Amino acid sequence: MLKVKNLSLNFGGVKALQNVSFEVREQEVLGLVGPNGAGKTTSFNVFSGNVRPTSGEVTYDGHDILKSSMHKRVKFGIGRTFQIPQPMHELTVRENLMVSQRFGRPDKKVDQQRISEILDSVNLLHKSESDAATELALTERKALEVAKALATEPSLLMLDEVLAGLETTGKKLFMETLKKIRKQFNLSMIVIEHDIETISNLCDRIVVLNFGKVIAEGTPDETFRNPEVIRSYTGEENA
Amino acid sequence: MSNFRIFAPLAIVMYIIVPFLFSGNDYLMGMIATALIIAGIALAWALLGNLGGMVSFGHAAFFGVGAYTSAVLTMDYNVPVFLAMIIAGFGASLASVFMMPALRLHGPYFALAILAYAHIFMILATEMTSITGGAAGLLSIPNLPVFMGFDFGTKLGGYIVILNIVSLALVVYHLIRRSTYGLALKAMHDSELATRIVGVPATQLKAIMLVVSAFITGCVGAFNAHFINFLDPEYAFSGEWTVIPIVAAIFGGYRTLSGPVLGALFIYLADQLVFKSLLPQGHQLILGALLGGMILLSPSGLLPIITNMFKRFSKKGDAQHVES
Ligand SMILES: Nc1ncnc2c1ncn2[C@@H]1O[C@H](COP(=O)(O)OP(=O)(O)OP(=O)(O)O)[C@@H](O)[C@H]1O
Ligand SMILES: [Mg+2]
Repeated sequence: MLKVKNLSLNFGGVKALQNVSFEVREQEVLGLVGPNGAGKTTSFNVFSGNVRPTSGEVTYDGHDILKSSMHKRVKFGIGRTFQIPQPMHELTVRENLMVSQRFGRPDKKVDQQRISEILDSVNLLHKSESDAATELALTERKALEVAKALATEPSLLMLDEVLAGLETTGKKLFMETLKKIRKQFNLSMIVIEHDIETISNLCDRIVVLNFGKVIAEGTPDETFRNPEVIRSYTGEENA
Repeated sequence: MSNFRIFAPLAIVMYIIVPFLFSGNDYLMGMIATALIIAGIALAWALLGNLGGMVSFGHAAFFGVGAYTSAVLTMDYNVPVFLAMIIAGFGASLASVFMMPALRLHGPYFALAILAYAHIFMILATEMTSITGGAAGLLSIPNLPVFMGFDFGTKLGGYIVILNIVSLALVVYHLIRRSTYGLALKAMHDSELATRIVGVPATQLKAIMLVVSAFITGCVGAFNAHFINFLDPEYAFSGEWTVIPIVAAIFGGYRTLSGPVLGALFIYLADQLVFKSLLPQGHQLILGALLGGMILLSPSGLLPIITNMFKRFSKKGDAQHVES
């Protein structure tokens, strides 16, 4: 559904992406991994419309999306979360999802029943009336980040380190939630995550970026046995 | 505190008590009407600041364009005054369309761009002598008319007209604010990215707010033209039509519905009735000091202070209730 071809992006002298090509298939969970600064978040920013690439193509269900504005892409079915959660300030959790539905869903319908379902699926229903910016713990902020994206009824959900920073049990629970959501909402996903165990557990396929280039692609098993991938990771640890 | 608990008493005071007590006193009625002119601009300004997070230094432009549109339509084209005032609102909205490129800018850059635009309109009004009378201005702009048997050309009549304009603006503001559009706009104040990423066309929503805000300000400017029957570019586009409403809105609490109105009434009347007699030269200094004090004391303005006072009273009541 998402096809990326020869994507490059320079920030001044920094080559954040260099000739990146990969594909996300229908119903697939794709892991996007790589050391810090590899270009993972930048890739999401290009797909969601936060930045324009220097060159390359990105199509979604056959449409060239690079010309579309950020808000149009949401209506195509592309949803994302941010590494640093971005709740809508001054609104309650439920109101956050109302806005997401009203502006993100192709039919623009606000459906309270559906909002409750979504909040329930990320274990946030008990916080519906809480202030989104000030009254949530870290896990809850991350859950809201996912719920907001879900409320736009995406077909592709892009998650940027939603599990990072959570302690072990919290992480396990959240991972189960993500697996459940994938089935319940019939989603394709791109997941950015550092933890190899998590990624292997969650993803069907993996793309590895390093210095803005794709250095490996394949199933979790074969990818994490690839010497170049191991080198890029240990290189990072030595740094 | 619910809107109703503020607006019900405010409506009673403004619609019944003020006319009942002061309708014989033209000086005072004129002054309160002028305070409401400030209130109308303050409300329009706060709508833009609260919903969408845009700080405008250019509202004098909408005020001036509205004033000139209505004056010219009534004087040169014999358009009835009330109709001309509504068209003046659209005229100001049209002027705001030219400012839309500035919406791509944020924070101080937007504020400065819109200030520059406002200045362009003043220059236009001065240069387009054949229509606007140039720097010499327009004299004998028609009075507010007699309508359904009531003479709105009096101070009391003018007061009722501007009070209705402000009330309508409040209703429109309230309806926008409680819609889903309003929720998105409120969130855009501090977290625009969060709204865009779920599909909110942020720039378009801001553009709509700019048009609405300009419309209200234009109607108020038109009202003023017919209320004082005189216009010149320096006066109609004066920076005071921007600055005093901003001071009033911030003083009253620009994130609230009634704050700008209460702020304008307080600021303008205190200035004219008290500070002016205390300090005939430079009484605006007191306003500046007052605003500074308010920002330090209660950054969100006068209204939260009043609200807290109410709460403390009702809490005391509850406590006694428990004890007894
Ligand atoms: N807006 C920007 N302006 C300039 N440089 C940028 C910008 N955004 C990212 N970069 C640079 O692009 C490179 C890729 O950054 P990116 O955020 O995509 O990394 P990442 O793979 O998400 O890393 P992390 O795991 O730390 O989140 C980095 O060198 C970063 O400094
Ligand atoms: Mg990142």
